Amino acid sequence: MEFSPVHYIAVPLFAAFLIPLVGKVSKELVKLIPGLVLLYLSYGSIMLFPKGMENPIIEIIAGFKPPFGIALYYGATAAFLVTLVTLLGFVIWLYSYKFIIREPIEKYYMLFMLLITGATGIMLTGDIFNLFVFLEITAIASYSLTAFLRDKDSAEAAFKYLLIGSFSSAFFLLTVMILYTYTGTLNLADLASKADMIPANAKGFALLLVIVGMGIEAEIFPLNGWAPDAYSQAPSPIGAVFAGIVVKAAVYAFIRIIFLFFKTPEVLHFIVIIGLITLIIAEMAALRQHQIKRMLAFSSLGQMGLVILALGIGTTESTSAALFQMFNHAVIKAMLFFAAGYLVFHSGSKLIDSVTGLGYDKPITSFFFSLGALAIIGLPPFSGFWSKLNVLISIASEGEILIIVLILAASVVEAVYYLRIIGKLYTRKEIDSNPRRTPISGLLAMGILAIVIIVIGIYPDVLTQWLQPAAENLLNSEEYIQTGLF
Amino acid sequence: MVEIMISIPVIFVTIFVGAILTYLIKLIMPKVEAYFALLVSAATSYMAFALPKTESIYKFNLGSFNLMWGNNEYSHLFAMLVAVLGFFVVLYSMDFMAGKVNLGFYYFNLLVSIGSMLGIVYSQDFLSLFIFWEIMTWSSFMLVIYAQDEKFSVGIKYFVFSAIGAYLLLTALVILYTNSGSFLLEDNINNFIYLSSQNQILVIIFLIIGFGVKAAMMPFHVWAPDAYKAAPSSFTALFSGALSKMGIFGIGLVLFKFAIQNTDYFTYFQFALAWLGGITALLSTFYAVFQTDAKKLLAYSSIGQLGYIIVGLAVGTPLSIMSALLLTILHGAFKAMLFMSAGAVYYRTGLLDMNETRGLIRKMPLTFLTALMGIITVAGVPPLGGFVSKWMLYEALIQSNYYFLVIIIFVASTAAFLYLYRFIFSLFLGQEEKEFENVKEVPIKMIIPMLLLAGFTLAVGVVPGFVLEQISKAMGYLGIQTPNWENSVLFSNWENSSVNLMSVATSIGILFVLGAIFLTIKNYRSTRYVTTKDIHTSGEVPTENENLTFAVNFYQPFERSLGSVIKPSIDRIFNLIGKNIESAADYLRYIYTGNGQTYAMYVILFFVVLILFADLMFGFKF
Repeated sequence: MEFSPVHYIAVPLFAAFLIPLVGKVSKELVKLIPGLVLLYLSYGSIMLFPKGMENPIIEIIAGFKPPFGIALYYGATAAFLVTLVTLLGFVIWLYSYKFIIREPIEKYYMLFMLLITGATGIMLTGDIFNLFVFLEITAIASYSLTAFLRDKDSAEAAFKYLLIGSFSSAFFLLTVMILYTYTGTLNLADLASKADMIPANAKGFALLLVIVGMGIEAEIFPLNGWAPDAYSQAPSPIGAVFAGIVVKAAVYAFIRIIFLFFKTPEVLHFIVIIGLITLIIAEMAALRQHQIKRMLAFSSLGQMGLVILALGIGTTESTSAALFQMFNHAVIKAMLFFAAGYLVFHSGSKLIDSVTGLGYDKPITSFFFSLGALAIIGLPPFSGFWSKLNVLISIASEGEILIIVLILAASVVEAVYYLRIIGKLYTRKEIDSNPRRTPISGLLAMGILAIVIIVIGIYPDVLTQWLQPAAENLLNSEEYIQTGLF
Repeated sequence: MVEIMISIPVIFVTIFVGAILTYLIKLIMPKVEAYFALLVSAATSYMAFALPKTESIYKFNLGSFNLMWGNNEYSHLFAMLVAVLGFFVVLYSMDFMAGKVNLGFYYFNLLVSIGSMLGIVYSQDFLSLFIFWEIMTWSSFMLVIYAQDEKFSVGIKYFVFSAIGAYLLLTALVILYTNSGSFLLEDNINNFIYLSSQNQILVIIFLIIGFGVKAAMMPFHVWAPDAYKAAPSSFTALFSGALSKMGIFGIGLVLFKFAIQNTDYFTYFQFALAWLGGITALLSTFYAVFQTDAKKLLAYSSIGQLGYIIVGLAVGTPLSIMSALLLTILHGAFKAMLFMSAGAVYYRTGLLDMNETRGLIRKMPLTFLTALMGIITVAGVPPLGGFVSKWMLYEALIQSNYYFLVIIIFVASTAAFLYLYRFIFSLFLGQEEKEFENVKEVPIKMIIPMLLLAGFTLAVGVVPGFVLEQISKAMGYLGIQTPNWENSVLFSNWENSSVNLMSVATSIGILFVLGAIFLTIKNYRSTRYVTTKDIHTSGEVPTENENLTFAVNFYQPFERSLGSVIKPSIDRIFNLIGKNIESAADYLRYIYTGNGQTYAMYVILFFVVLILFADLMFGFKF
């Protein structure tokens, strides 16, 4: 059977329904199924990737041609992001394998599969209502996973997420309604070609709804209040999923819609500014956090601010730099969440202070955390450096020196709070040696990510060659409309 | 036999792969890793020496940027410094660090920092320079935090300043890149004039501050004393001796390849930088006098000496640049000597506090000799090398009419005697103590590098020609005409006379010896042996825990008169800024109240704001 983009959605969805049934038979099998699914999808991604980079693949579902039927659009950008999601998803599964020991594991893996379904769906769909559905699938899976630990804090975080998330759904649904009312179509490409039929004030109102509705999911300031709680209260691998997969899907959808319907200089300008504000406020807020995972969450908001800023610049260079930054952030932040998960586990406390001296007791986990911290600050020879450099160059070629200075000022703050932790890790202190070890699967997961970080850091060309087509695909709405409609 | 091509990539592979292997060897076979590290650094240093100049150019592409490595005369000068000091420091570390924990980590970072310094000097493009610069920063940061216990701020301060410097560099590089479309030094130098005047100034200031932070230029020096103190002495020798010189390397490059093209403002840059250097030299000398910790004293001394170098570069006459570069090399040698001898004392006594140590001269004569030659070089007394460089600096300053700066430099230079004296006096001289009865001279592997460096300073003092040759070639690369010199004769164009440094040095040397003989003969008769229960306590019997070392409050009167002037220091201002930023962050943190209702309110408010200002922001009305 040849691999087709439908498999990205169908296979994990099927697995999600299968898992509870299998759970009645064998717990081990429950753990293995998501791994197999993700392995299959990763394999498929690698097969499909070069094709998607060349020409967009349009997959028609149930035989109705667009604009009437639902279509999947596997273009260069989607290919890039979906491949990232599946590969990262596999690594996250590897990490979860020994990390999630708490029952009910079948629910964990079921929701995890639903999250993958939703995220790939968001990236692949060519239909705006379908997009809404996938956003909802992702959101509902996320709410439940946030509350997975079933204590007071995680329940509270999940409730906040649910509260704010429902705003997002409502606003986005309103957008869909407005667009549908005036154009009579839900296919994204068709909608974009008929965008002129929408009166200016309705279109403007839709823009505001999109900014708020999608902005919540894309974590822009001040709509991102739910995020730190959700990231830090969810189990660590889910923190990695949020930072590496969910928010990437949301930002992609946000930017795709903006670029398709609302790409005016004013809007782009607004996005740059909101990205910058998000970056600065998040980094500042991260500086004084006492909990390690909460700090990572704020750092994640900041990084996404940078991505949104770069997307708002709207040139090919800046867009490819933003995609590069997305990739790096997904990989590095996943590693940080992984390492932090075990640091918290070993020290028995969520507080930053409690990691003091762990560098000597748990050298490998601490090493991975330090590596991730150095990489995310953007120090060479790690991957984070190249994307930051590319972002800065793309901004400089627009002549915005002030923005560069502000980004770098935020980076200094970022360096402070990350290195503070490294300093604490490698401070000598008598601590009771903890017999618990980080399991092999966890180390393997972090090791894979570390290799990616170092290899791309030393030889970025492995990745950069794919960024250009992905960026062009994201920017070029005409091409999207033409290929999307046949 | 396969002939190994000596080229820059081979050097990098040797040292960086060697560093990783050292780390792995430590895991498998402890105690071998030090020998392996020595082998790696020896091979690297050898190759750096043997590397052919000018023709060894290596071009490649990375991340869609053109990069280039190459060795020119200017690079070679600094590469020599790094190679020699790097090897000596590894040799010194073998015994100094023996028995410490996490040696794999130590040697890994040490070798990486040596490799990255070579990388900086061999980079012919700004991007690889920056990459190596950052590698140098984090590897040295790791060594600064290596020894710390429950004190974090030291390393963080170092890193914050480094990060600020590095990001200023990065901003400048990005601006240059957008102008020239390339990171190659050559392209940027040629295209610099096409930048707008405003951007030119911005780039130059950013670059100078960026490089200046590593050179501990005031007011960005505050990280240095703590970082130098926190790092193991063996690494501090390299830190102060070679790593801080990377800043000088960069400043030289910026001044004479870029800033000089901006003819309108170049003299202002020179003037400002010369004064910054002068102030750095003066203030840090005063700070140094008040230190009680040997390594902190040396750290401030190091900042001061770098101040001289910056003055020399900034004044920009051939003679002053030559003196600056000579001092760069010399400072590398003598500051390494001094840190190594302080480290040697620490190795044997476990003490760095100058109020506690005394009378080690007989126990550690060779260490004493090194320290003595080190301070003579710092002070600029003939016949050691420091004299030559100081002479040239004064002459250059007077020639270019910086009379007031000469006075400042002279005061700083003289005041330096105060702390140098304190350093050697409180460590080595004075009464011998029971406490130090069993102290022995340090092992041979620590002695060798110290004595070899001491020999080097002597050689520079007597026949400076062999260093000046490479320096004048380096100046040739910077496009500066070199002053005339022969092996030990300096032809100055000051009233067309020539100064024979050899004869100056010899005559002062003879005077010195004569004076010593005279004093010995004069005092021989009147030598008076005193018992340890001398009358210095005025008949009171001191209690046991009373610290009677004379080094305690050594310069109390001086401190009383000057202390108030110096105390409200730059350090505090930075601390204040840091605190304010942190408390601002604390306020900002409360935007995220953790209350779901507030967050919901934010969403609504944001939407309302968007609606209200939609006209302003997006240009449409409802």
